[in-house]
Formats: sequence, C-alpha cells, structure tokens
Amino acid sequence: MGNLIKAEFRKTLTLKTWWVLLIPLVLVAFWLSYFWGWAMNDFAAFIGSGTAREIAGPIGLDPDKLPVGLLAIAHGVNIAQIIPAMFGIFALAGEYRSKTITTTFLTAPNRVSALSAKMITYVVWGALYGLVSFGVSALAVVITVDSSRLPDTTQWLAALGGTVLAFVLVTLFGIGFGAVLRSVTLAVVLLLVWFLLVENVLVGVLWNVTDVLGGILPNGTANGIVGGIAADAFGINSLNLPAGVDTWAQFGLQIGAGAPGVFSWWASALIFFGWTMLFFGLGWAGNQRRDIS
Amino acid sequence: MHDGSGRIVVQNLSKRFGAVNAVQNLSFTVEPGSVTGFLGPNGAGKTTTLRMLLGLVTPTAGQATINGRPHDQLGNPARIVGSVLENEGFHPSRTARNHLRVYAAAVGVPDRRADEVLGLVGLGPAADRKAGGFSLGMRQRLALATALLGDPQVLVLDEPTNGLDPEGILWLRNFLRSYAREQGRTVLVSSHLLNEVEQLIDQVVIISQGVTRYFGPLDQLRKSQQSRVLVQPADASALVKALQENGITQVSPTPDGRVAVAGATVQQIGDLAAKAGIAVYGMQEETADLERLFFQLTQGQYQGAPGYPPQGPPPGPPQSPPPGFAPPQQYQQQYQQGPPPGYAPPQQYQQGPPSGPQQQQGWGGPR
Repeated sequence: MGNLIKAEFRKTLTLKTWWVLLIPLVLVAFWLSYFWGWAMNDFAAFIGSGTAREIAGPIGLDPDKLPVGLLAIAHGVNIAQIIPAMFGIFALAGEYRSKTITTTFLTAPNRVSALSAKMITYVVWGALYGLVSFGVSALAVVITVDSSRLPDTTQWLAALGGTVLAFVLVTLFGIGFGAVLRSVTLAVVLLLVWFLLVENVLVGVLWNVTDVLGGILPNGTANGIVGGIAADAFGINSLNLPAGVDTWAQFGLQIGAGAPGVFSWWASALIFFGWTMLFFGLGWAGNQRRDIS
Repeated sequence: MHDGSGRIVVQNLSKRFGAVNAVQNLSFTVEPGSVTGFLGPNGAGKTTTLRMLLGLVTPTAGQATINGRPHDQLGNPARIVGSVLENEGFHPSRTARNHLRVYAAAVGVPDRRADEVLGLVGLGPAADRKAGGFSLGMRQRLALATALLGDPQVLVLDEPTNGLDPEGILWLRNFLRSYAREQGRTVLVSSHLLNEVEQLIDQVVIISQGVTRYFGPLDQLRKSQQSRVLVQPADASALVKALQENGITQVSPTPDGRVAVAGATVQQIGDLAAKAGIAVYGMQEETADLERLFFQLTQGQYQGAPGYPPQGPPPGPPQSPPPGFAPPQQYQQQYQQGPPPGYAPPQQYQQGPPSGPQQQQGWGGPR
C-alpha cells in the first residue's frame, strides 16, 4: 500500500494541476475573506442594529464584539472548496481520460488497493488544500477585522479543524462525482454550475416555501461545516435561532456565514459525509467491477 | 500464492458484451521458453481475451490464469506479468521518465529501473520529453518499457507491431525471442497478421469469431500445408488427364486459370507434359503458405463443411481440434471444359491442419 500511495503522490507531483489549482484557491479564499471581513467589520450597520441586538442579546455579547471574523473566514473557504472538489474529479475521471487507469490497475495487487491508495492520498491533498485555504483566509481576516471581533483561540481552532474536514470531504466528493459521471469535463461543468449557481438559486427561490434545502443539499452542507461553526458562535444556525427572528433576516444572517439554512456544523458535516459516501460509494462500486477495454 | 511456472492457462473462457459473444469457450495453454502467437482477424476476441487474462475484464464464464492464479491474486502482479496493450494511455503532459517513475513506485522497484528500461527500449534520449508528443512507435516502446519495469516472468503484448517501423519490428522480434528463449520466460503476442509475427513465434493459437481454430506448434501448421506447383499449360484438361494417368491426382484449378499440382516435382510435371505433347508456358513452385492457411482458418468459410456449425462454440470438448476445414469455394469449381472422368476433388485443403494423434500433441498440457 505504501508503494501505491507513493505512486499516487508522484502522479500528482509530476503534473502541474496541483499548483495551478492553488492559484485560484488562494485568490478566492483571500479576496472573499477580505471583502466579507471588511464588509462585516461593522456588523451592526451591515445587518441592522435591531437584529444585531437580538442576536447578540441571548448569547450575552456586545454587538460590537461579535466574532464576525469567523463569518468572513467561512465565506472565503466555502467558495474556495470548489477547487479541491475539482482536484478530486481529476483523480479518477482524469485517469480514465488519459487511459492511465489501465496501468494503474495492472501495477496494483487489485482494484481495492489501487482505489484505497488513491483515497488515502487524496485525503492528504484535501487536508493540505484546506490548510492553505484557511491560512490565507485567516490572513485576510486579520487584516480587515478589528481585533475585538476576531475569533477567540477555541474558535480559531474549530474553524481550522472544520476547514480541513470540509476540504477532505469535498475532495472525496469530487473523486466520487467524477467516477460516477466518468467524464472530467462533464463533472467539472456540473460541479461548478450546481455548487455556484443552481443550488444557491434553488435555496433562495424556495426560501419562503422551505428553509430546509440549504441544510441538506451538497453545497449547503459542505458550506455548513465551517459556516456552521461561525453560525454556532452567533447562535444563528437553524437549530437555535431565536423564534422571533424574521425569515428573511435569518436568510441574511446565514448568508453572512455563507450557509443559508445551516442546521449546525456537525449536522452539516454528517449530511455532507452522506453525500460524499453516496457518490464515492457509487464511483467505487462502478470501478470495482467495470471492464477496462 | 502463484506457482512460479510462468504458464498461462486459459480455460473455457467466455465473455459476452450484451448480445455479443466476444469470446466463446476458449481454451489454450502458453508455456515458458517460447513465443506464442495469438492470432485472429480484427474482432476475433483477442484483445478481450488478453484483458480477461490481465484482470481488466471480468469473464462471463471460465477462467484465465498466470502461474495458476487469476491476476488479482498474484500479489504484486507487475513482477509476474508485464503487458503492452492497445489503447494504453500516458498522461500527455508527463515525461517518459516521470511516467515510469510513477509506476516504478507502484511496482516497488528502485527509480533507476526507470532509466534502465528506457535504455532497454531505446528511449533514453527522449526520457525528458512529454509522452503527448510521442509518435505511435515511441508510445509502443514506452508501453513496453512500462511492462518491463517489474522484470516480469510473463510478457503479454497486444498487436505490438502496430506503429513500429520495419526496424522497430526487427528489434522487437529479436528482443522478444531472446526474452523467451534465452531467459526461459513466457511471451504471448497477439496479431491479426500472421506474416507480421511468423518469424517470431514458435507456438500459435488461432482464434476466429471468439472460438479457437488451431492451437499448437507453428511447425506443425506449416507441415500440414503441402507445397504445390502452379502450371500454366496450353490445354489444362489435357494436362490434368495426363497427370492423373500417371498417378498424380492432387490437381486443382486456380482462380487465374492455372493448374495447381501437389505431390509432384517441377521435373516430373515437365516430363509428363512433354511426353503428352502439351505446351507449358510457365511453372512456379509454391511452398507452404501459412498466410493462406491462416486465412482459411479464420475466414467464415465453414458453412459448406460437413458437420461443422457455421458459428458458435466448437463441437466436442474444447481440447479437440476443429474437425476438418472446408475447401475454399474456388477449389470446388470443376473445369468448364468437362473434367475427365474420375477427376478427384482436390485433397490437400480438406486435410486442413495435421489431424489425429499428431495434433493432439499440440493441444497437450504441460510438457
């Protein structure tokens, strides 16, 4: 297994994809966190003083001291995590495209070990992308947000852990998604369209009908891991939002965390883990049996 | 674990893709120390068979083993079997050396092995070029280099001469021959052209429409094909009559109007023709033509043969040779000018490949 993992790392490191993808990842994570950090630094003005007090009151915080830095970080890393998902798509669908999958299977004891080695390797890659993403987002937030509104140590660590977890899951989701669709191009296009557009529109348009979609669909739950940590700090996740908060204020608050409809970070993580396993499982099952001809 | 024999055994192997029977009840054995040709026309099921042997395609029935084990039970398979397949890929942006280093890691051989195999196939100067810019011939060499990484006991090559220039083919022949004969390893080479691999192989498995047509030493196949003399006489029926009167009965017309005579030398025929007063404009000795026999074995010309179903699985147990081959249509024609009485239908093509105990040898198991 060690040999196969080494081979998987070499596959990635002998191509440019891994560092070319780092460029948009760093740019997106930094500038989104920078923008949201700057915009939410004056949180009370941003969301309306009445609602801000309503939020701050129950959790015993001065509205001026809400940890808005967390929201900005969540925003940065949530959009950036589309990158490791794309990276994951290349892992298996890319091997089918270049037809290297034949040699990959021929040089491994069996398909289970070939696919396991790939999974382990991409867990590491996902974690590395998560670390980089968190690093630049944190930097942007430190630059833009007043120190009183920065997260405390526990919150920093929670956000770090959440980012790494989310990125690992999103990478595996990408592998499964690519493996199920069997096409790099189709998978990348569908991923971008769904994660950046379709699901957000669905959640927004149907918000008056149901606010549950953002809490259960893939993009919502993937975002909900770090977004949920931020939302937890504010008490604005759907599980413990005060009853008096207006539906659209809730939407605005949760949008601020980049995760409308979020239940809580752990519920999001569990549901997204389910999505990941669904695609990863289907992709794995397909590859286990598929005739390579 | 595997038995280390270097033997490939294909037993009652079948594969069905939807409604298509790609391979039907195929059986053969490939022994170490020789190069075995795996022959059949395009679409005969060669690639599917090789891919089943390598665990890339799951058989519908039967099994294919190397060293007594299916591919996924070989442990570190690339140390046992290396393969060059059609449609094998290289990432276009990865250099040849990096491609080999990736799989050297997977196989668990040191990195210097990558440079060794590059040298072995003559790609050393192109080591740092991207595979995307390689010609078909270079890709074949890189595929062979990849196959050799684990220094395998068994080498399986699917149409390896595709894309190689004559020089490359010659080099490959010598390489494979020494790999099999001097190092006592197993080499299985598929091709749709017998003459491309004829100089290279000792044993041959011929399949067509997913069914084994012949399996045994190439020499036996060669012996089964008699040499014959093609005669261009002024009067064909007179010559046939003269020959038959002198006991030479294996006579048949050729499509171009000549008379094919088996079992007689050029001198005998010339003497007889002179004695009978028949002018002869030309005579040509034709030695055993494997390609023609291969063509007969693999063409769908079995319809007319008694007792042989047009398609479908071979009759009887798979270990038995196909019973007889139908003479090609043109040899069944009779002379238009009225054949002499007693003119026997041509014999040589009805005998087909060696029959009886002689052939059983070729079908035998390990020797």
